[in-house]
Amino acid sequence: MATTPNPLSQTTLTMTSTTDSEAGAGSLRARLFHPSTRQKLLAFASLLALVVFFSVANDNFLQIDNLVSILQSTAVNGVLAIACTFVIITAGIDLSVGTMMTFCSVMAGVFLTYWGLPIYFGIFAAIFFGALCGWTSGMLIAKLKVPPFIATLGMMMLLKGLSLVISGTKPIYFNDTPSFPQISQESLIGDLIPALPIPNAVLILFLVAIAAGVILNKTVFGRYTFALGSNEEALRLSGVKVDFWKVTVYTVSGAICGIAGLLIASRLNSAQPALGQGYELDAIAAVVIGGTSLSGGTGTILGTIIGAFIMSVLINGLRIMSVAQEWQTVVTGVIIILAVYMDILRRRRQ
Amino acid sequence: MQSEQTETANESGYLISLRNVTKRFPGVLALDNCQLDLLPGEVHALMGENGAGKSTLMKILSGVYQKDEGSIFVDGKEVDIDGPRAAQELGIGIIHQELNLMNHLSAAQNIFIGREPRGRFGMFLDEEALNRQAAAIFARMRLKLDPRTQVGELTVAKQQMVEIAKALSFDSRVLIMDEPTAALNNAEIDELFRIIRDLQTQGVGIVYISHKMDELRRISNRVTVMRDGKYIATVPTEETPIDTIIGMMVGRQLDSARPVIANAGDNKIVLEVKGLTRGHAIRDVSFQLRKGEILGFAGLMGAGRTEVARAIFGADPLEAGEIFIHGGKAVIKSPSDAVAHGIGYLSEDRKHFGLATGLDVKANVVMSSMNRFLKKGLFLDQAAIRSTAQGYVRQLAIKTPSIDQPARLLSGGNQQKIVIAKWLLRDCDILFFDEPTRGIDIGAKSEIYKLLNTLAEQGKAIVMISSELPEVLRMSHRVLVMCEGRITGELSAAEASQEKIMQLATQRPSTVAAVAAADTAATPTH
Amino acid sequence: MIKRRALNIALGLSFAFGASGIAQAQEIYIPLVSKGFQHQFWQAVKAGANQAATDYKVKVTFEGPETEAMVDKQIDMLSAALAKKPQAIGFAALDSKAALPLLKKAQAAKIPVIAFDSGVDSDIPVTTTTTDNKAAAALAADKMAELIGKEGEVAVVAHDQTSRTGIDRRDGFVDRMKSAYPKIKIVSIQYGAGDQLKSTEVTKSILQAYPKLKGAFGTNEGSAIGVLNGAREMKRKVVIIGFDSGKQQKDAIRDGQMAGAITQNPVGIGYKTVEAAVKALKGEKLPKIIDTGFYWYDKSNIADPKIAAVLYD
Repeated sequence: MATTPNPLSQTTLTMTSTTDSEAGAGSLRARLFHPSTRQKLLAFASLLALVVFFSVANDNFLQIDNLVSILQSTAVNGVLAIACTFVIITAGIDLSVGTMMTFCSVMAGVFLTYWGLPIYFGIFAAIFFGALCGWTSGMLIAKLKVPPFIATLGMMMLLKGLSLVISGTKPIYFNDTPSFPQISQESLIGDLIPALPIPNAVLILFLVAIAAGVILNKTVFGRYTFALGSNEEALRLSGVKVDFWKVTVYTVSGAICGIAGLLIASRLNSAQPALGQGYELDAIAAVVIGGTSLSGGTGTILGTIIGAFIMSVLINGLRIMSVAQEWQTVVTGVIIILAVYMDILRRRRQ
Repeated sequence: MQSEQTETANESGYLISLRNVTKRFPGVLALDNCQLDLLPGEVHALMGENGAGKSTLMKILSGVYQKDEGSIFVDGKEVDIDGPRAAQELGIGIIHQELNLMNHLSAAQNIFIGREPRGRFGMFLDEEALNRQAAAIFARMRLKLDPRTQVGELTVAKQQMVEIAKALSFDSRVLIMDEPTAALNNAEIDELFRIIRDLQTQGVGIVYISHKMDELRRISNRVTVMRDGKYIATVPTEETPIDTIIGMMVGRQLDSARPVIANAGDNKIVLEVKGLTRGHAIRDVSFQLRKGEILGFAGLMGAGRTEVARAIFGADPLEAGEIFIHGGKAVIKSPSDAVAHGIGYLSEDRKHFGLATGLDVKANVVMSSMNRFLKKGLFLDQAAIRSTAQGYVRQLAIKTPSIDQPARLLSGGNQQKIVIAKWLLRDCDILFFDEPTRGIDIGAKSEIYKLLNTLAEQGKAIVMISSELPEVLRMSHRVLVMCEGRITGELSAAEASQEKIMQLATQRPSTVAAVAAADTAATPTH
Repeated sequence: MIKRRALNIALGLSFAFGASGIAQAQEIYIPLVSKGFQHQFWQAVKAGANQAATDYKVKVTFEGPETEAMVDKQIDMLSAALAKKPQAIGFAALDSKAALPLLKKAQAAKIPVIAFDSGVDSDIPVTTTTTDNKAAAALAADKMAELIGKEGEVAVVAHDQTSRTGIDRRDGFVDRMKSAYPKIKIVSIQYGAGDQLKSTEVTKSILQAYPKLKGAFGTNEGSAIGVLNGAREMKRKVVIIGFDSGKQQKDAIRDGQMAGAITQNPVGIGYKTVEAAVKALKGEKLPKIIDTGFYWYDKSNIADPKIAAVLYD
């Protein structure tokens, strides 16, 4: 039998290293004008434009206190949006992130206040139960083939109910764990640099963002997340265990919601069981505004963070300008519609 | 060059050998004792009409289906291919017509999906190694492509190259290509053929499924012909004239008595189209249709027949061309315009486009004529609907327990009759039937044929699109043959034969001369 | 692409000029951060505040989160309000502890805080304009006693047991009954979260358990409507006394299904809050509580202009 050469043994080209899995072909110029880079720049430019606009419109906007306030108000939504980003890249959706966050904060309350355990148990509880809920959603979607919209809608209601049941419809206070509010409210950065009293919640947001970015772009799990959203059938035919990885995506997303639960609970020093429903829409809005497509296959954590900041800057700026509250939501709604429309235009061009 | 090829072919045993492969699906014998041999370094063409069994045989070889009987040998040893992974491990790769790529990922990422080179902790990716390995494969193919390019941005031709590279990355020694040049232009075909020749010199064997005669002359060493699920013959390409191959593809015994068809030549022209054009799908199509005539539209799948029908019916737009109905110019921008002009269209896909399968028989019958069944302009006249539906059930002998039976529960043939009833109710003069007897058993088929003849006798003008040659010959007064968007020929009932139709169906405009030249060179005496 | 940026800017600008966005430095600015926004009660408070703004020639804004659970959103609103460097601020806390850091900042900046409605659980506010809920509920108890002949069984359908208003209204009613009407027995106190549906179910179970019940008191609008529905569905005739107003309660009182109700003075709350702020800025000393008043209304006086003014739809 004639032997055929091993194609992998011939190495005739040496490749320069690539850093980003979305890099376009070859040259820096080509990569700069690549559609995905363009869209990230556009989102960032929009954010910058908003900041400039509000700074000019009202002196009170650009004060350190107010900027810190913006950072603070973005932290929880930002973390939730990061969780959603993973799911949306797989062309799925998770409507339960809001009530899942609340459920995790309630479970932290159970561990710390009801059972009086040390603080690390509470942190563990929030993240563990988040992962567990995410895993459940994932199993419904991957194994039982329930469409993501329905499965996570059901989970949303289930978790809302469980939160109320477990807490007896009353808030759970963390007064027994005095170090708990430090998670959100103290400022490690402020201790080092007194001029920048940035709350820990924001620090945690950025750490989560960096970790998520690395996971999404540099790990096998991240690669399969994109592949699932791009062409799930092709992935399956390539021999990859699609169900397993799908469940993993939702589990990771759930764990991140657990972190959000810790952030909001420590900001309010209480687990508020009635809170949470409606937060998923803000999270999904941030993801969409940041340029991630709801049809999956593409997306960035950076885009999501920018999207979250666009929303919080917008709301804050409008408040500072004393725009009536009714109009604030009108403006946000218009921005979301525009962002989705941009996405559709972009996809049509491809 | 020929002697080199024969040397490689005779040097060793077969790469792949299929013997007595049989496959049954519910109700149909898809493959009946088929065989195929593949030598290393050979390009072996697999030919046959639509439905001959080529795709099924290749799906068995690539592990998508499992054979019911027969044996498969790889390198002389019998093997059991129980799934796509098994086929991959045996070195068998398949490039489907519909590409299986993830458009958002890069070429390198697609090639190595599921087998990525890992970095630290086995969790992180080693992108550099990934790109390096992909580049190596492209180098082997002498293909200029940056492995980091996003697949969604590549042309179809380049995407195919990525699929080939993926198959090669599995150390495939057998490559199955299904209609690889369907979406390629001439330059891209040349590039593909260069790669194929390179692979040949490396000893890779290629099974090449295609209808395009001129390509097969260029690239293949041998041709295997299949027909109706059976193996017919294997011949060397250069020495065999095209007509012989066509003869083997269609040479079946036809039904004894063909009904004598009266020529409708003197009847009025009911529909005339001139210069219909839309991109590559419809290229300057013109024809006439007479009252009481059944005009057969023959050709291979993708020839453009459905496109022409849908364009005339207003379902798809046209870039150029004119339509005349009963002599007057007609502007048709949507199906409702077409219906207003008396045109009806029964699509190939009954379930999706012909019937509302969730509704019952009577609802489907009146679907296109609702405005005739309104009381006071708003409410449905149930009594009138029921009696009309009953009438058609009787007239067309539709087998159904009642007119309230959900349409999806009826057999294929009866579903088709419901769709016919719908258009008859609309009093259409011009009817387009697209594959009217697909998926219908023998008994129901002849009922549909009788129906069509009756309609023609009543003065309707019928265009019958069909890929089943016996059917075309049996029913048509005239036959128009299309190939790649053009009408390549017109045959009267008397002159039409399967061979002539197939010849016209496989003619490609740019290479008719090339084929003729190759034929005269190949045949020793004539 | 540029379109989106331009659109962003255009929208912001148009709203900026639509609303009186660009702050004028000289005018006194008093933002009110409330517990809610959408409910008619809060809109009435807003109306009162706007009225006071006109009368005292100050600038007032009014905002509140969509639901009373959105504690964090209220904190964001309070923060933004403070960032605008107001002269004074009105606040009704959803969670007093969570708001404490910001209130401390206001105090440090010498910005007087006027608490309103359920107020703030802290010393920082210079005054609280609110309804004396205990006294209001006691009046309801008096009227109930009158209507059932000073003896018999009654029940309370309250909205919750953790908020100030919930606790005060329940206790006000119960304590008054205990002290002034020994022959009246309060057989059941249940909580319906102020949700009409839940309060209906709760009422039905009470009526089921106590066939001789003569009267029921709903401590807020949602609870009262639940009591109405429950009694109607069970086809029982009981004396129903409600709280606050709203179209359904008003209709029920007009056609006799409800005996009457206690209304707060939401317009007065809004008005007096702004008024108190103005006074505080002038340096006047203010009482700890400013009672904004409550009234009993039934079929006989519902059309009275004084009463009608404090009722909302």
